[in-house]
Amino acid sequence: MRASLFQIVGAGLLSAALATAQDPAAAGNGGGAFAPFRPPASGSGADVSGTWMLGGHQDVAYGTAAGALVDYGGIPFNEAGRLFALAWPASRQTLRTEQCAGYTVPYAFYSPGNYRFWEERDPHNQRLIAIHMYFQTSEVNRTIWMDGRPHPPAWAPHTFAGFSTGEWKNNILQITTTHLKHGYVRGNGASQSDEATVYEALIRHGDRLTYLAETVDPVWLDGPFSKTVIDVRNVLDPTAWLYACEDGEEITSRPDTQIPHYLWGKHPFLREYADKAHQPLLAALGGAETTTPEFREKLKNKAALDAAAMALTVPAKIPEQSSRAAAEEPNDGQIHILPVQGRVYLLTGDGANIAVQVGDEGAFVVDTGAGKLTDKVIAAIATLTPRRVQFILNTSFHADHTGGNAKLAAAGEDPSLPGSFFANAFPGAGGVATLMAQNNVLIRMQKAGAPAASVPQDTYLSERRRKWHNGEGIDMFYMPGASTDGDTIVHFRQADVIATGDIVDMTKYPVIDLKNGGSIQGEIDALTRILQLTVYRHDEDGGTMIIPGHGRVSDEYDVGEYREMLSIIRDRVQTAIDSGATVDLIKAARVTADYDTRFGATTGPWTTDMFIEAVYNSLKRR
Amino acid sequence: MLLGRYLNSTHRVCQNGSRSGNKGAPELTKLYMHGYTNRRAVWLIPRTASIVSRLASIIIAMLSRATRLLGLTIFSLALLAADLSAQGFANRGPQPPQPPRTARQAAPNDLTGYWVSVVTEDWKYRMVNANKGDYAGLPLTDAARRAADSWDPATDPDPVEDCRNYGAPNIMRQPGRIHITWQDDQTLKLETDAGSQTRVFSFESSQRAGGGWQGVSRAAWDSVPGGRGPVLTGSLKVVTTQIKPGFIRSDGVPYSANATLTEYLDRVDFPDGNTYLVVTSTLDDPAYLSAPYMTAVHFRKEADGSGWKPAACR
Repeated sequence: MRASLFQIVGAGLLSAALATAQDPAAAGNGGGAFAPFRPPASGSGADVSGTWMLGGHQDVAYGTAAGALVDYGGIPFNEAGRLFALAWPASRQTLRTEQCAGYTVPYAFYSPGNYRFWEERDPHNQRLIAIHMYFQTSEVNRTIWMDGRPHPPAWAPHTFAGFSTGEWKNNILQITTTHLKHGYVRGNGASQSDEATVYEALIRHGDRLTYLAETVDPVWLDGPFSKTVIDVRNVLDPTAWLYACEDGEEITSRPDTQIPHYLWGKHPFLREYADKAHQPLLAALGGAETTTPEFREKLKNKAALDAAAMALTVPAKIPEQSSRAAAEEPNDGQIHILPVQGRVYLLTGDGANIAVQVGDEGAFVVDTGAGKLTDKVIAAIATLTPRRVQFILNTSFHADHTGGNAKLAAAGEDPSLPGSFFANAFPGAGGVATLMAQNNVLIRMQKAGAPAASVPQDTYLSERRRKWHNGEGIDMFYMPGASTDGDTIVHFRQADVIATGDIVDMTKYPVIDLKNGGSIQGEIDALTRILQLTVYRHDEDGGTMIIPGHGRVSDEYDVGEYREMLSIIRDRVQTAIDSGATVDLIKAARVTADYDTRFGATTGPWTTDMFIEAVYNSLKRR
Repeated sequence: MLLGRYLNSTHRVCQNGSRSGNKGAPELTKLYMHGYTNRRAVWLIPRTASIVSRLASIIIAMLSRATRLLGLTIFSLALLAADLSAQGFANRGPQPPQPPRTARQAAPNDLTGYWVSVVTEDWKYRMVNANKGDYAGLPLTDAARRAADSWDPATDPDPVEDCRNYGAPNIMRQPGRIHITWQDDQTLKLETDAGSQTRVFSFESSQRAGGGWQGVSRAAWDSVPGGRGPVLTGSLKVVTTQIKPGFIRSDGVPYSANATLTEYLDRVDFPDGNTYLVVTSTLDDPAYLSAPYMTAVHFRKEADGSGWKPAACR
């Protein structure tokens, strides 16, 4: 009887195995009768684990830190992308915030060295959670989530690795990456913006891996930029070097606020590559048409090419362009909470960003939004701490930063005041949260007739105010003459988060409120001051985190990029002023054409025209 | 480098993730080997263990094996039940022989249609003519260099019109459109408008005459070993031989009559709606290449043939 049981079991096993093996439809890729599971979210496909390196037979001139200036053939630039690249000198790399910048995909795949992939599986059910990648050059550690999780919201920070999710389709590992930083597509300034989405396919053929990437960038590309690379498996030498980058002084005589750039129409090396490669300049300037077979035909008409090329080296006489960036602020009538770092959170959804620090004491809040959703702001803070709001600091007097002051303060309390000597002078002190700001905020709000309950009474005048609260030091620095004459930035020192107010605005050009004491140089100086406080964690990623006045959470690299933009625009406007141009001529010249598709606006409360006027008038006053 | 999945043993080797991402040396400390029935850690750094803990490990392992044996028995019984149920406890008798599926029926994906080349790789060699003597990236033999050095743009035909640039090893790199159709159930046809060439990918092994620019191509749906036999990867593999000698770069870099071209054609459907055909090529040529020459190009799917503009070479 026992023998027959084993015979039955054995026969059953064999029979089931054979039945399944004979049925091609049941045969999956590496699965089958004995497969203990089949992950539902990501499916299964070719295993890419191991170490791979660049095949090296194609595009040999375009590896890391390579590529001649004005060699853009095959890059589907739009006007803004081309103009950004034409303003880029190699010396831009000497800036401290650029020296150690990481590589984004797909550019990282053009770099030498090993790319290591390994799987992370749930130890209990062996489901694939993620595929990890390590790029040797620039030490980018990348995670490709395979568990079906969603991408973060638009107000989450960006990194050089971005946020990647993957799935297998037809055995090909397909990856979608968002939340990337601005990165290069070629080592000559040709770039993809922080709004790019990159789709990738990893196709394995034995010990070769074909990589196809498609970059979709509404800011700087005129269409999808797709490209392939071949990698080969590195079986015997899987080790990787370290990328020991640490920024330092490279040009000691150059002020921090001086950003190297070429003026459009005056590029000193415009034709160098084209002449050397015996290419028409039009071909070297790139554009979507240079990727099409039809362009080969166009190259035959050499007489017309040069005139067409020169027209591409300066802004076209077309209307100003608006930002094509995705909205970085929710507009759904809800307050959204994003943990930033330490005990500091971003609350977004009601005008300007709100920063909230929580702990054993009452909440410390930076700015109160437009005041339309203050009840929801209060409710959101209540989910972070059982304690009430104790301190509110306004970075500016502007209504989108102070709109919720009265209501939020009324919902709070300052328990440090009752029973203190303040209570003798101010009966009832501490019954509401303490409103703080630089003294000019008080003056501006009173002048504007703001209700007394919304005006900060606890003000400061000097360069710095400080406070120990919720277990960490909080620095409040006065930034004179930046967006207004009352700007404060707040540095939560232990969390290492800086709330900048409108000095940094990831949704538009900074509001330079000339009538209320703002200036372009004060704005650039304030950005420089912020950069003196920041420390990146690794290759310009992370470390000190930035909560801007508007838009997504950022870090040092983003602030550095913002300062580069403003310094370059300042120089262009100054050059035009020096040549006698009027403000209307400067506007018509579209001196912001390379950044308009990211930060520009033709309608709304702060247009590109208003920004240029502010820069112009600010410089004329000097 | 051992990382990956291995069949039959159905073991997977993965890292602990212990290669440090910090500034310290990225030392590998531990590998995991994960099978269906066990999991094993291989320490790559000296590790001490007391006799007591080793004994404890052995006892736990024995208990664990006993548990697994019980589980395997239950698993087998379940399979038996499922199998008997599927058979309905009945003798089904011999099944009628099934005709072998044709290549067309077995196609793991659809490669047919019009595709336009997206010229972004090796742009300066494909969109414009390479400068004489520019052999960057090519693993050439001395014989190839000598032959290429003799090419003279002043006297040789314009590469755009010269059929020597439209042979199989270079045709897919030409800016243009391709049209893929099933000529019959066992034959894929790939036509190019650039150079007006036709490639025939036969899934049958019958010999055909070669010697033309496109040689003789043998096609197969690519497969890899699986636990119960070959498993299709999704790629179309094409091996082309007997090709009329021509150029692999427009500055006269030659391939010989003995060259073998191996290509994989893969279809990629991205979430944004764009569909691409990726062609990964390896050219082996004992006469002119010191190593296999690997390139990839890609094409974007077009809705129709409205862009088709045949231009014959000479």
